[in-house]
Amino acid sequence: MMQLINTILIGVTSGAIYSLMAIAMVLVWRSTRVINFAQAGMALLSTYIGYELIQLTGSYWIALPLAMLAGALISALIELLFMRALLKHTSQGPIASVAPIIATLGLLGVIRAMIGFIWGNQDLILRGPLSNVGYTIGSTTLVFSPLKLFIITWVVAVMVGLTLLFQRTNLGLSLRASAHSPEISRLAGVRVDFIRTIGWALAGAAGAAAGMLQTPNGIGSIFPDSLEFSLLLVFGFIAAVIGGLDSLVGAVIGGLILGLVVAFVLTYVGGSLVFMIAFALLIIVLIVRPQGIIGVKAGRRA
Amino acid sequence: MHKAQKKQKKQKKQSNHIVLFIFFAFAIFLLSNRVDEFRVYQGASVAMFVVAIASIILLTGYSGQVSLGHGALLAIGGYSAALTRNYLDAPVWICFAVAILVTAAFGAALGTAAARLSGPYLAGTTLALAVGLPSIANQFSVLGGEQGLVFYVGFPPMRLGEDFTQYKWFFWIAASTALISMWWLQNILRSRYGRTWRAVRANEVAAELAGIKIGRSKVLAFTLSAGLAGLAGALLAMTISHVFPSAFPLTLSFLLLTGAVLSGITTLGGVIIGAVALVAIPQIADAIAIGLGNSENVVANLPGFLVSALLILTVLFVPNGPVEQMRAKRDHKIAHSRKL
Repeated sequence: MMQLINTILIGVTSGAIYSLMAIAMVLVWRSTRVINFAQAGMALLSTYIGYELIQLTGSYWIALPLAMLAGALISALIELLFMRALLKHTSQGPIASVAPIIATLGLLGVIRAMIGFIWGNQDLILRGPLSNVGYTIGSTTLVFSPLKLFIITWVVAVMVGLTLLFQRTNLGLSLRASAHSPEISRLAGVRVDFIRTIGWALAGAAGAAAGMLQTPNGIGSIFPDSLEFSLLLVFGFIAAVIGGLDSLVGAVIGGLILGLVVAFVLTYVGGSLVFMIAFALLIIVLIVRPQGIIGVKAGRRA
Repeated sequence: MHKAQKKQKKQKKQSNHIVLFIFFAFAIFLLSNRVDEFRVYQGASVAMFVVAIASIILLTGYSGQVSLGHGALLAIGGYSAALTRNYLDAPVWICFAVAILVTAAFGAALGTAAARLSGPYLAGTTLALAVGLPSIANQFSVLGGEQGLVFYVGFPPMRLGEDFTQYKWFFWIAASTALISMWWLQNILRSRYGRTWRAVRANEVAAELAGIKIGRSKVLAFTLSAGLAGLAGALLAMTISHVFPSAFPLTLSFLLLTGAVLSGITTLGGVIIGAVALVAIPQIADAIAIGLGNSENVVANLPGFLVSALLILTVLFVPNGPVEQMRAKRDHKIAHSRKL
């Protein structure tokens, strides 16, 4: 019984982080129809900036929102300076469908190398603000810790913020409109290019938060070739696909499903199978329900 | 020139290809006697990259499917070759054949799922594979964990002479394998399958209306590409004499993709450009790093930086690769001069 509760709580925590990453991928996909494989690099860079901010201010609480801000800025700059030129340059020819994918990969490599240039290849330790030792109820100690509670709270707060932005503001309406139909939105007076940059900025912030939260929850350190961030990218992608790649709610649900599945496999089957199960989940979703669990459209186009 | 004459000439050119390949083989084997050991070893790496890049060009350039996970396919090939060698004590060429078959079988299974996926979904799926698959090798003792397995192709045969070195033997094996696969691939691409892939790439709907079974054509491309990747994996394992998980990192997949884009992803002709570039980049990076003061951070990260920067620059400015770009320019010039 205790083990079951523990597993669920761990699953929800890591699922919350995967959700953030999935949200980042969905936001980019909605605004530019590109899967941003550089998201892992951008999240890592933001986490490095977060690390510097912690050194500077001595407080994780200040560093976290600032790192998200930095992530948003980096992401917006990449969209402005790089993706626009790229999409314009490669809109034709046999490489058109492949070019954005390859370009974001190149970007991932460049960002990782830059991090290596600046911070070197050694591990940097990033401590969480709260203890990761579980709460004690009676005589048993849960795996669920103050840090995990904080992670869930922060993710929920980010999601509430995003929901309010999308549902209650004009900016949110423009974001939804230009994701749905850029041409018509442009005719209706929406500055679609600007809105795209905003979409990327929001994604950058979400990715930064995912990185800043995953690091203390996971191995606790960062380095340029971090496998943890590659896995974060892959799990974020899987979660986004489960949710249909187009839906923010879907991304959250996808993240939670993936987190729970991973936690249950870890507890009851063993660590060696985690990746294979996650991969199998991806393949099954893509074959059985390619539009995702939320998708209502008859099928995925293009 | 009359049409009939033109056609005849074209046919003649095709039949000459085998002669060309044999001449090519002769030339590079002669060359391998002239240069020092290190160059010979690099030559073996170039041959390995030629096979791996050709595999990506076949898949992405001709059949329009993106794979970011070719490193994982190379790993499968390398491991199956090593397992065959270690447990069955099979001759080297059988190990290579097993590597091709096992990886092709895996590719067929993956391709069946992949044929239903479009660009970004397939890219993400294969990326997931590249991240996860090598780490799985850590979990099974038969695969040797982090240390991996030894893969040794044996001494060069005695009749090649006393001073025939190990590296030269690697090079001979790798280069002849690469030449044979290129020749084979060249023919496949000119067969009806090649035409089918090009038709699907150009316009999927039109191809389907013309009676092409799109799914089947994509799965076939994936299978053949995986087979080639498996062969490249076995060659890689040969040149480093081992297979271990960190020999097939995510960066390997990116490296191969960069090689393919540099070669011109839609033409097989430039494959040697990409392969040579991939082997040369670490050396160039070293030279630059020394020029920049040889600090540790720069030395460790410059190769990765150059690879990624080249990838981005190529996609931005010569998206179809330098070879295709020059051809397009020439065609344009010819068309222009005729108009005048």
